[in-house]
Amino acid sequence: MHNVISLLKPRIWSFKNRSRDNKRWIKIGIITTIGSALWLGIFAVSYRVLVYIKGIEDIGDILAFKLLSMILLTLFSLLIFSAILTSLSKLFLSKDLILVHALPVSGETIFLARWIESTVDSSWMVIVYTIPVLVAYGTVYNAGAFFYLNMGITLLPLCIIASGLSALVVLVVVIILPASRIRSVFVFLGLLVFIILFVALRMLKPERLVDPETFSSTLLYLQSLSMPSSPLLPSTWTFDSIKAALQNDMVQSLFHTGLAWSASAFLVFVNLWVAKGIYFKGYSKSQASTIKFLRTEGQWMTRLFSFLPGPTRAFLIKEIKTFWRDQTQWSQIFLIAALVVIYIYNFSVLPLEKSPIKTEYLQNLFSFLNMALAAFVLSAVTARFAFPSISIEGNAFWIVKSGPISIRSFLLIKFFIYLLPLLVLTEILIITTNLLLQVTPLMMYLSTITLFFLTPGVVSIGIGLGAAYPDFSSENPSQTFTSLGGLIFMLLSTAFIGLIIIIEAGPVYTLFVSKIYGNSLSALQWSWIIGSFIANFIISILVIVLPIRYGEKHLAIHLPLQPAKTKRSLRGTDFKIE
Amino acid sequence: MIQLINLSKHYGRIKAVNHINLSISKGEIFGFIGPNGAGKTTTIQLIGGLMAPTEGSVMVDGINMALEPENAKKKIGLIPDRPFLYEKLTAMEFLRFTADIYGVNATEFQEKSGQLLQMFSLMDRAHELIESYSHGMKQRLIMAGALLHDPLIIVVDEPMVGLDPKGMNMVKTLFLKLAEKGTTIFMSTHTLRLAEDICHRIGIINQGELIASGTINELKEKIKIDQADLEEVFFQFTG
Repeated sequence: MHNVISLLKPRIWSFKNRSRDNKRWIKIGIITTIGSALWLGIFAVSYRVLVYIKGIEDIGDILAFKLLSMILLTLFSLLIFSAILTSLSKLFLSKDLILVHALPVSGETIFLARWIESTVDSSWMVIVYTIPVLVAYGTVYNAGAFFYLNMGITLLPLCIIASGLSALVVLVVVIILPASRIRSVFVFLGLLVFIILFVALRMLKPERLVDPETFSSTLLYLQSLSMPSSPLLPSTWTFDSIKAALQNDMVQSLFHTGLAWSASAFLVFVNLWVAKGIYFKGYSKSQASTIKFLRTEGQWMTRLFSFLPGPTRAFLIKEIKTFWRDQTQWSQIFLIAALVVIYIYNFSVLPLEKSPIKTEYLQNLFSFLNMALAAFVLSAVTARFAFPSISIEGNAFWIVKSGPISIRSFLLIKFFIYLLPLLVLTEILIITTNLLLQVTPLMMYLSTITLFFLTPGVVSIGIGLGAAYPDFSSENPSQTFTSLGGLIFMLLSTAFIGLIIIIEAGPVYTLFVSKIYGNSLSALQWSWIIGSFIANFIISILVIVLPIRYGEKHLAIHLPLQPAKTKRSLRGTDFKIE
Repeated sequence: MIQLINLSKHYGRIKAVNHINLSISKGEIFGFIGPNGAGKTTTIQLIGGLMAPTEGSVMVDGINMALEPENAKKKIGLIPDRPFLYEKLTAMEFLRFTADIYGVNATEFQEKSGQLLQMFSLMDRAHELIESYSHGMKQRLIMAGALLHDPLIIVVDEPMVGLDPKGMNMVKTLFLKLAEKGTTIFMSTHTLRLAEDICHRIGIINQGELIASGTINELKEKIKIDQADLEEVFFQFTG
């Protein structure tokens, strides 16, 4: 155990050392504020929903517990999904493993230390944002202190079991699969599980649970609700324990919590036993790189883009090839495709004809709101692809800095590389959903033109902030959107989208109403409408120009060839000097 | 060919490079030596245009790096000590990328890329992803990339790191040949034997200051030791 603690110390010390950096406290402050707001938001929404559900006569409690069971099952799936990726990285792919495996400690000791790290990393955020939901349950059911105490005791084994099962799968699969395919296979598997779960949940139409009329009979409805979940599922033990605690049945609650703890203890034992046998073998195998020969004699891409200037062509081809050869990027595409399909599907099932409001009005109102939603989808996609595109240069960024190309040109090239596909995606999204909504030609033109001008702005914010907050030393640059820079990007792009939509809302409503009722507009109204569109045009142009300039300014002073992890010291010296 | 005028770079209170004045002529091989943390890599990064100086300027073939960075960088082939590359490209693709950036035309590229890959023993693995290369192979590929556009100046940080003896010998011969043809080479190194063998002049940097520069004989004269090798000279100057 002493060695396990020693192996965990660098992580703890690094964490402590980072907290001595004053600038970091500002970041922590911002993230904590936003995180707390989100936490309170989840609590408020959960509380409202639970109060409503509990109030449904006769079946309120059954519904509330069914919902809790679904939440815990989802939580368990998320924990497994998260733990698979984290344990693969911690146990087999981290760069510091070379150093750790050179130490005079046994394989299972390294495994245990890494597994503890993986469990904490993969579960803390999921747990933090599940707690407000459970606190809402406690509040609505007037639970006592035991419920809150038990909540912590019973969630912990769920995390250990999820992380333990994931680590076990990873240990075995690494032995079977070729090393070069490990990460991509796991990312695909994890995403597939996640998407199947999501789509299945969507197809089940959970909104029907609050609408008993849609069921053929009350009996069938109640039967579907009160059906117990599998007793073999760890989330069922947690559910039974929480449910019993809510009903003040301490003995039952502790029994199920004990069940979860005994399972997690058993899993610890099994994992250590398996790790002793195969962890080092697997690690050793994962270090062997596979040689990939590619047919690159053909210059079709160079010929295809021959009309472009040399540096633009160079970066475009490099970007395309790097993107397609990195399988972890495909999973992002896979995820985005699923998101788009679900998004469009939701529009196809909107029961507009059942609404008491005039359909034409509703269709156009939805179309207007859809413009904002499509822009948010654009933001999410930009955060995944355009924002990390600067960090993706990695330590090879010195090539850009030492090359005869200005930072502005480099950023503009990146901007145009991402603008084209994102513009096409956004326009497809808005036109398809507008066709499904059967909107008027006015709304069709308006939304396609608005998004045509909005997309470059969002992409520019993504590239600009990606340049202002680069992480060239990241092992997984596509995840940099979760950093402070990513958070600022999401806030700014949301503010930009919101501003454009708000400025447009009034004039569009006036135009639309006048068209429906056949009223003519006054000169003042026309000036207001034209003024609003001009204002939006100017804002869009400014938002294209300013973020790129901001990013350029920051990136110009960034020093390549100095990984961030080595350049800071505690005395405030910012750079490593050789 | 290279002029460092009153060049300084400060990191907060630390003076990584402090008022360096240096002039290096065409076809000269200049060795830059100094203990760890002396400011060698910082100087190299300033010459390569990877960072801006706090004070002073870098002139490359008469072009001010601060005023015309793109034109100045076209004259340089930079070889850093750590071989960071685009891992998902093949060697051939990386060279094509470099050619496009530096404006090497297609015919010239065809001819030179083959020659360079052959010279650096990378031809057999030219169509293999860089991620599967060893440290030494990546270092050789960076060198090939740096030479592709026939730079007037080569700025190299620790050229021998990761190279096998054959590679080291090849690089030594190559640098001498390039210098004969008029290419200026600015090289930082800890391999004193290399500096002694190929450098026309040597500069010793310590705590950010250029404390001595000249031919080996001039340096020996300064410390008044006749029979000393560069290692002894180095220790005398840097304590």
